[in-house]
Amino acid sequence: MASIEEAQEALSFASDKRGLLPVGLHRSYGDSALNSGGALLDIAELNQITIDSDSATAIVGGGVRIAQLEKAALAHSFFPPVVPGTGHVTMGGAVAADIHGKSHHKTGSFSSCVRRIKLLLANGEIADYTRADTEFWTTVGGLGLTGIILEIEISLRRVSSNSVDVSERRVDNLEQMLELLKNSDNDYEHTVAWIDLSGDYRGRGVVSLANYGNRTLKSHSGDASKLSLPGLGGRNFITPITVKTFNEVWFRKPLKNGAVPLSKYMHPLDGINKWNRIYGEKGFLQYQFVIDVGREEIFERLFAGLRSLKASSFLGVLKKFGTASQAPMSFPRPGWTLTLDYSTSVPGLEKFLCEFDYDLAAAGGRIYLIKDSRLDSQLVPIMYPGFTQWREERRAMDPNYLWQSDQARRLQLC
Amino acid sequence: MLNGFKSPGRIALIGAESDIGRSIIAQLPKTNSPEVILIGRSGEYALDVTDKAAREKIVGKVFAAGDLDLAIIAVGLLGVDRAMSEADNLVAAMDVNYLATVHLLKLISDRMKSQAHGTILVISSFAQVRPRVDNFGYGSTKAGLDFYARGLASQLKGTGVIIKILRPGFVKSKMTTGLDTPPFTITSEECGRYGVLALKSKNLVTWAPSILKYVSLVFKLLPSSIFHKISQK
Repeated sequence: MASIEEAQEALSFASDKRGLLPVGLHRSYGDSALNSGGALLDIAELNQITIDSDSATAIVGGGVRIAQLEKAALAHSFFPPVVPGTGHVTMGGAVAADIHGKSHHKTGSFSSCVRRIKLLLANGEIADYTRADTEFWTTVGGLGLTGIILEIEISLRRVSSNSVDVSERRVDNLEQMLELLKNSDNDYEHTVAWIDLSGDYRGRGVVSLANYGNRTLKSHSGDASKLSLPGLGGRNFITPITVKTFNEVWFRKPLKNGAVPLSKYMHPLDGINKWNRIYGEKGFLQYQFVIDVGREEIFERLFAGLRSLKASSFLGVLKKFGTASQAPMSFPRPGWTLTLDYSTSVPGLEKFLCEFDYDLAAAGGRIYLIKDSRLDSQLVPIMYPGFTQWREERRAMDPNYLWQSDQARRLQLC
Repeated sequence: MLNGFKSPGRIALIGAESDIGRSIIAQLPKTNSPEVILIGRSGEYALDVTDKAAREKIVGKVFAAGDLDLAIIAVGLLGVDRAMSEADNLVAAMDVNYLATVHLLKLISDRMKSQAHGTILVISSFAQVRPRVDNFGYGSTKAGLDFYARGLASQLKGTGVIIKILRPGFVKSKMTTGLDTPPFTITSEECGRYGVLALKSKNLVTWAPSILKYVSLVFKLLPSSIFHKISQK
């Protein structure tokens, strides 16, 4: 689908009962971009970018990749204020998940820089919504279930170079990590920590702090020079031993200090193409949650459980969130967010996470739905107190349930 | 919907009174908390399995409330009710084991086809391997069901819908109380364990116990004169 007219026509392809779902780059961790038995509408070709330097805004198509926008914006000495850990996210997806990045404690989530969205509604009409409209906030974090996001108007941030000044520090345990992140909020635009969740699970790691820099670095070539992971015969290479070895190396590697290209700093995951292959055919899951500052005891409970299962996370990321957006289904809100990924073949992991979800909900925490593939549907209204309101607003926008997804069916979202 | 661990979120047992069916449900891995719909003679999902319109209605009701990930069809009659004539017993067994079960299989698989995912476990029997004098009536109904299920499994390749067939030998249960127990008899708990294995297995057919796979080969290869003697007991 390359134009708005084609998108309108495509509405008629929706199957009677299984509906339609807009999809971008097919990189969702869970089932939020799947629609078994129904139709998918690929928005990747809605990839126009217009940048207006005077007003520091960009008007982008719903299918524009964030990395593509970054490149275009940098050419005008701008940068999107909020970018996620991977550049392979469409603008439509960024709104539908209300994504966040290393700058959340300063800037908030993606919606904080969105001024307007153009939405193709279930009835075939096209509407523009601004921050004053309910439909705007129903669509933000709305998991693609309110319509097709055709176009987005974004405020950009002026930058003086294409680099960030990075300062990395090693910490020996979780307590030190939390302390350092807490104390760095004011001084740094970007903060994030890599946490080692293997071995003794004491939470050692590397805290990375950065500000937009002044040194312009020679732009490095794109995807061509990148390492691509070969097919590994569908086998899972994530075992406690490989993870422990990797984490040991990662912990000991020389710390980065100084200027680093923005894109490389923002998207460390994109350094290796097809990295997901290390998990083999059975696949993996991401588990990301947020918990209030002051409820850190939940980490102890989690780490103890994971240690007893010998479940090693290849990639643990800890970050402190700032202010929440007003969208009822937006994930980020003030507190600590921890992201882990696991091979689904770890025995006992499913049961443990099921139980942990309840502990988390009881402690007032919640999990990130865009990455979920296994939450108990009963927990959605508890973790997202605005859920019932959102569902009513969504139904008002789509009374005939045109927009559907596997996740929506699994979690009874619509 | 299946979750990220491929665990079912919604399961239906048709034949809520079946010892084997209940035993399978009880032994499914308890890693998540799926909704289990019990379809039996009474309760919220009551069904007279011999009523065609009622079968259509109940399948409609189950799928109207959401996607179904797993259906276990465990209705069956042995056809040995002493209060009824042999002919009436035969008709009753045909009605339930073949007509009702095949109809349910078709109705459920059609629904699963439109949701593009789902697994159906059908309970066949060792009795369908070769006609034995003591139970060929029952065996013929299961043979018909088994035949249909295998055909349906082939037809559904690539649709996301998976059919699994469990072929138990003699199972000690309510249904077989008072009957003589032949070799390789198992309990309904053991049979339930094979049912769970059938769901995990890559094969279309799972025997309960596994050795029946080889016994069935022997049964098929025996010359009819010898088989006739054995089957007379």
